[in-house]
Amino acid sequence: MTKQTDGYVTGRPDTREPVVDESTNPNPFSYRDLARLDEALTMSSKETGLRFTLYVGELGTDTRGTAEGLHGRSGGDTGSSVLVAISPGQRVLEIVTGSVAARRLPDRACALAVLSMTSRLSSGDLVGAIVNGLRQLSDAAGHPSRRG
Amino acid sequence: MSVIETVLIYGVIPLAVFVVLAVVTLLPGRGRDRTTYRPGQPWTAQPVWYEPHPGASGVGHGSDAHADVHAAPGLGATAAALAIGEHPHEPHSGLVDHDAPRRTAAGGARGTW
Repeated sequence: MTKQTDGYVTGRPDTREPVVDESTNPNPFSYRDLARLDEALTMSSKETGLRFTLYVGELGTDTRGTAEGLHGRSGGDTGSSVLVAISPGQRVLEIVTGSVAARRLPDRACALAVLSMTSRLSSGDLVGAIVNGLRQLSDAAGHPSRRG
Repeated sequence: MSVIETVLIYGVIPLAVFVVLAVVTLLPGRGRDRTTYRPGQPWTAQPVWYEPHPGASGVGHGSDAHADVHAAPGLGATAAALAIGEHPHEPHSGLVDHDAPRRTAAGGARGTW
């Protein structure tokens, strides 16, 4: 490989900086953050009986449709599952509730959680927004009824 | 007072104070500066999907046993073995699943920042 097509001087080591920083952890969250997220998801699910899942990533152009598609494929009982989908690159947050979950978590409660989450997200506090949003959602949903 | 004493008192001691304060204030927060997200910057990480521990969800319907039956090919298999930081599901290019069996969403909210 003697010929370099991009015009860089041959025979010399390539000292150019990589365009993409590969040294960073591919996982966007540190282990401490992951522990907080895990506890928030597990505790809110245990407390309410609903199934909270969290998606962090691109949501495409139709963010609502993508989030609803993800909710449909979230496994388990989709009726009682709640999807919190965050696309930090697009600055979009979507909360999708199933049919059973929507009775316990009305859209107004979801909108309130979204409001508090977006105010934290706009300051860059991703994990804090997720943890507090889940707490708020589980507070709004309350405990499951004991009839069954 | 010799020159050395003057330098020690007026030069080295203030410098030492600065160094001590710098060490005390800068060192403890050094490892925590891993805020990978800043608003307005692109998000380059892979999509991740976290779910609660299998035993945690639900009073009557928390089992992942019928996850495979209803929907989500590929998710049910990994759902049981999901741990912290694992990627339960990595959507490919087709994010929107057009052949979803039914619409499961009944409500929710959206927001931007």
